[in-house]
Amino acid sequence: MKQTETKHPVFAVVGHPNKGKSAIVSSLAMDDSIAVSNIPGTTYRRQSYPLKVDGKIIYELYDTPGFQRARQVLAWLKSHDVSADRRHEVVQAFLNTHRDDSRFHDEVELLTPIMEGAGIIYVVDASKPYGEECEAEMEILRWTGQPSMALINHIDKEDYSAEWKRALGGYFQIIRTYNPMQTDMHQQIAILESMAQLREEWTVQVKASIEFFLHYREQMLERSAAAITRLMHQALSHVERLALASENANEDDKARLKERYKAYLRTEERTTQAEIERIWHHEHLHAEITPMGFEQMDLFSEESASVFGLTRKELLISGATTGAVTGAGVDLLFGGATFLLGGAIGAVVGGVGAYVAFDELSEVKLLGKRLGKRYLEMGPMQNRNFPYILLGRILYYTVMVAARSHAKRDSLTIAMDSTFKERWLDEKVQKSLEKYHKQWRSGKGMDDEMLKSYEALIEKILKKLMEEL
Amino acid sequence: MHLKDYIDLYTLLKGDLSTRQERRTFGLAHEALTSRPLSLLKAWVDEKMRTRQTEQAGEKVAHLLYHTTLWLTLLAFVTGIFSGIGLLSYNGHAPVNLIYFLALVVLLPLVTMTLALLSMLRAKRARNTLVHLSPAYLMERMALFFTKKEDLLTQVEINPMLLNWIVIQRSQLLALAFSVGLLLALLGVVATRDVAFAWSTTLQIDAAAFHRFLEFVALPWRSWLPTAVPSLELVEQSQYYRLGGTLSKEMIEHAAALGAWWKFLAMATLFYAVLLRALFYLLATWGLKRALKKATLALEGAEELLRDMTEPFITTSSMEKTQRGDVVKKGYGRIQEALKLHYDVIQGWAIPSQQLSLLCEVMEVSAPVCVEVGGNNTLEEDQHIVAQSSGEVLLFVKAWEPPTMDLMDYLEALSRQAESVTVVPVGTEHTEYKPKESDQAVWTDMIAKADLSKVWIT
Repeated sequence: MKQTETKHPVFAVVGHPNKGKSAIVSSLAMDDSIAVSNIPGTTYRRQSYPLKVDGKIIYELYDTPGFQRARQVLAWLKSHDVSADRRHEVVQAFLNTHRDDSRFHDEVELLTPIMEGAGIIYVVDASKPYGEECEAEMEILRWTGQPSMALINHIDKEDYSAEWKRALGGYFQIIRTYNPMQTDMHQQIAILESMAQLREEWTVQVKASIEFFLHYREQMLERSAAAITRLMHQALSHVERLALASENANEDDKARLKERYKAYLRTEERTTQAEIERIWHHEHLHAEITPMGFEQMDLFSEESASVFGLTRKELLISGATTGAVTGAGVDLLFGGATFLLGGAIGAVVGGVGAYVAFDELSEVKLLGKRLGKRYLEMGPMQNRNFPYILLGRILYYTVMVAARSHAKRDSLTIAMDSTFKERWLDEKVQKSLEKYHKQWRSGKGMDDEMLKSYEALIEKILKKLMEEL
Repeated sequence: MHLKDYIDLYTLLKGDLSTRQERRTFGLAHEALTSRPLSLLKAWVDEKMRTRQTEQAGEKVAHLLYHTTLWLTLLAFVTGIFSGIGLLSYNGHAPVNLIYFLALVVLLPLVTMTLALLSMLRAKRARNTLVHLSPAYLMERMALFFTKKEDLLTQVEINPMLLNWIVIQRSQLLALAFSVGLLLALLGVVATRDVAFAWSTTLQIDAAAFHRFLEFVALPWRSWLPTAVPSLELVEQSQYYRLGGTLSKEMIEHAAALGAWWKFLAMATLFYAVLLRALFYLLATWGLKRALKKATLALEGAEELLRDMTEPFITTSSMEKTQRGDVVKKGYGRIQEALKLHYDVIQGWAIPSQQLSLLCEVMEVSAPVCVEVGGNNTLEEDQHIVAQSSGEVLLFVKAWEPPTMDLMDYLEALSRQAESVTVVPVGTEHTEYKPKESDQAVWTDMIAKADLSKVWIT
């Protein structure tokens, strides 16, 4: 046994074929590249998934193929009459004898890390009835003498966990339930805490890994907020220009400019979505997005506006509030001699302006008339509603990606969720956001400090949304 | 951090392909700089630039700006000297009106410094008119235009706030050089020529009022250098009027005393034009440094680079590519559409006898021998059952459990012994023992892969 050679904790995820071992490793390692399928034999070799912090391995997980000839292995082991304290030597002898035997390829693959000192995580599927065939596997694992725990997975809805727990109790001291299809940080931490109990000398390192996991999640949230802020800044302050060949701009030129402006915004949104996928380690996700999902709900569609944007009423109130604040400034300037007319007029002008310009993105301006070179210009974004639509969509996308388990291999269906807006956009948040959106609308640009505080606001919203998951 | 480093960082970040791991490795190698982001960025720039052979944009721009500044400073200095000499030139007919000189060394600096202060307060704005009207800005644009090097500056997008501070700082430097030139001219002229100073103005200002004004101007030094403050008597003696074209008798009588003005003028130049300007230059230098820091941290990609360098690099995935087992999907010819009513032997793979009886009932099949195989049986027990098996055998298997090689070995042995073997994957009682389509497909594939001649599957 080489357990003293390995300084970091090592865990081998083992079990009967097709019980979700790879899905569990995928979920714990946050790696969506692991081959997961219901076809037996998908995992052909053992593969290591180390948690590394700055190159140092904190712990290592092994994904392994399932048992194929458990009864034959057990028979071989039992044919050696030894006392309990020397059983692990027999297992090692089995490995030495059958290392190149193709019949026991899978057993050799899964037993090797265990005999090198790995703790055992035995996976069963409790959505299916208990089966006697697992007993040979559990007996072999017992022969290895390594610390072990059982993980109860639920691939389907049915629940046979009671009978499984009774059976597993005879072999394992720690039995936990884990659903790799759910991204639940608490569940993940609970499993890590159980793993820490397997061997006393591993406790510190595995507990440290929990801290790293939490820190890692914080990093991902921060990076997502930074990416979203970048998108908002680039999209809302963007100015699209179209050089004109003729003296005056015709309707075609204007339409062409509008289309280019929209195309830019769409590209920016898609780029940020890809970045979000990368941040949350879902690099293999994009290709599998269902064609009838979010992609089809265009950024400029009415559906997008109705799901993610403000209603006309909300816009009216937002515009009126901004106008009233400006008008109140005038009142203050005259020491109240205006009888608060400034505020009232500001509210009416702001409100009506916002209401009337509900569908307009930005004004198309003809520039350079006197300088000889003529061009059309569109931007920065003037539409009061668009920032909420864009922000709502990217927040929604981020939450969907972050909440997706790395064990899932099906297409990501991003269905409309009309309640999403209510989950993050209340009056207070809208007021805070409007301050920044107004700055972008003004075309004055945003300094670094403002962008930082906007990023902090986005991070806060994201955290709140994640906590609700 | 200098402008050169800022431009180099800008250029490097534009085309940087370094990975998070590489950045973190660099960050760990420079851990002492973690709390000093600018120093860390500078170290990163230096490291990257070390491998580059050709002169980079930062070097070029810094070189250009340095030389432009140097020439403009020299020009301002020379202009200061000539302006001083011009203003102090004494043609022998009329004395030197010190009001011109005072306007240049007190009023002009105070006005321009006020404008400079406003520019500093508004330096954040990209379109800062005050900055764009600054002589330093205009002179620089002209210099760049004539040297045909304007293109170089358009290659790099320098933060507008930083550009404003560069112009503000340069304006102060040029003004300082001009003032030093003025002071030297004053000292030089006073030392080499006999200059008669006087004051003359169209405004209704009497000597006493003018004296009060001069005392106010001399406030910073009058307590410790009283000789550099003109007395009321001197002020009265120095006033002259152009009418008549001749000097008053009083002035001529006190001609020797008129030269005493130089100390006051020298101190006024030193304090208002040189010292205050030097203070503004330091203020602008501090502002530029701050702007450079802010602009550097605000560069696109700089924050991410810092984050990558300072945050722990956590990875959880495997460096190796996942190896997949070969999954062969092929059609199978021996499919049994319906079960017969009677078989010679019915077996259940890891299905206990009681459940097997229930299955036989549900599936409406019967046989003289119903027996459990696999599961908890020993290999010898299974071998014995195989040896006893003959005729048509029906083998129930749990559909949700994929076929293991243990089962395949058994099936192979059984197929050698029996006339035919029909494998029936069954589901759980929840599905009324009907297998899921996907499970059924897995079983069909596995049986097809084994391709045993006497084995059938439902």
